[in-house]
Amino acid sequence: MPKIPVSKLEPGMVLAKPILSKNGMVMLGEGTALTEKWVERIQDMEIPSVFIDGPPVQTVSREEALANLEARFALVENKPLMSLIKKLVQEHIEGLYE
Amino acid sequence: MNNMDPKILRHKVENINTLPTVPAVLKKLSSVIEKPRITIVEISAFISNDPALTTKVLKMVNSAIYGFPGRIASVSHATMLLGLNVIKGLLLGVSVFELMQKTMSGLYEHSLACAIASRVIAQKKNLKEPEEVSVAGLLHDIGKVILTLEFSKEYETAMKEAEEKKISIFEAEKNQFTATHADVGGWLAEKWRFPRNLIEVIQFHHRPTLAKNAPLETAIVHMADLLVRARGFGFAGENFVPEVNAVAYDLLNLSDQDIKDTLREMEDNMEAAEDMS
Repeated sequence: MPKIPVSKLEPGMVLAKPILSKNGMVMLGEGTALTEKWVERIQDMEIPSVFIDGPPVQTVSREEALANLEARFALVENKPLMSLIKKLVQEHIEGLYE
Repeated sequence: MNNMDPKILRHKVENINTLPTVPAVLKKLSSVIEKPRITIVEISAFISNDPALTTKVLKMVNSAIYGFPGRIASVSHATMLLGLNVIKGLLLGVSVFELMQKTMSGLYEHSLACAIASRVIAQKKNLKEPEEVSVAGLLHDIGKVILTLEFSKEYETAMKEAEEKKISIFEAEKNQFTATHADVGGWLAEKWRFPRNLIEVIQFHHRPTLAKNAPLETAIVHMADLLVRARGFGFAGENFVPEVNAVAYDLLNLSDQDIKDTLREMEDNMEAAEDMS
């Protein structure tokens, strides 16, 4: 459920959380698929970012992400606590590509 | 290898207003926040008088760094809610953004992610004021900014050494400067009259067992820094994940889920956080 700056919104993205007007009323509900018109309307409002459904968009491939992870942990992966931490980060990263 | 006398270094840091490389905006801010009896009202006015600064401060206040559920719409509300120390820290955070980008590409992303992670962990440990730990997370590497500004060649050498010898930037700094970014950050925090606890967190985030007044907060930023590096957000001098301090790790007693939640929160908010300029 990433928070996307409104400048990067695209039609088809689905709201993960409702967008409220200044006085707290629901303007666009959770689950709304944004159209081009709504993207423009949101960009006109003074909201910096909104929560969008789905995993955050990744700029690198899964293989590259995991290879980078290996490289970062190269010096410490044999230390007991560090292999647990690495495992958790690895699971987190893998979850981003499902 | 240069061995700089730490006393000289400290003197320079405490007199950053005289350093030619430090930009005017930071000098101005420095002279405001180092005033001994500055009030919330004065800081509030300082922010409100600058519309661009107001926008940046409100953006940050409403971001994942603080995780407030509602929406804070005014500077006076923000200052009332957060208090003097957090506002001072936040001001520094927004003001050094460009400087961080200039001196070390990726340092701002690293610092933002650390602020978010620090806040999440502080909430999981039920700390009364997680915002204070957020600020420490945001500013923990501010010493690197001054070091790279004032000693850019020596810092480049340190970064090269870190990469080639596969050591932490912390160790490489010790070789070049005798003091480290943690020391410099601590001196700055003292100069800017931050509370003892915040000074300690910045000074000891690499060696958390040395923190006598704020061991838990220091452990939090130590862990947050590590998790940011583990996930690979931003860049802080080199790309190695440090070994976690076992005492700090035990003190925090985080579950696997706690760690995953922290990673998730950073992940979900980093794209929006980059829009913070």
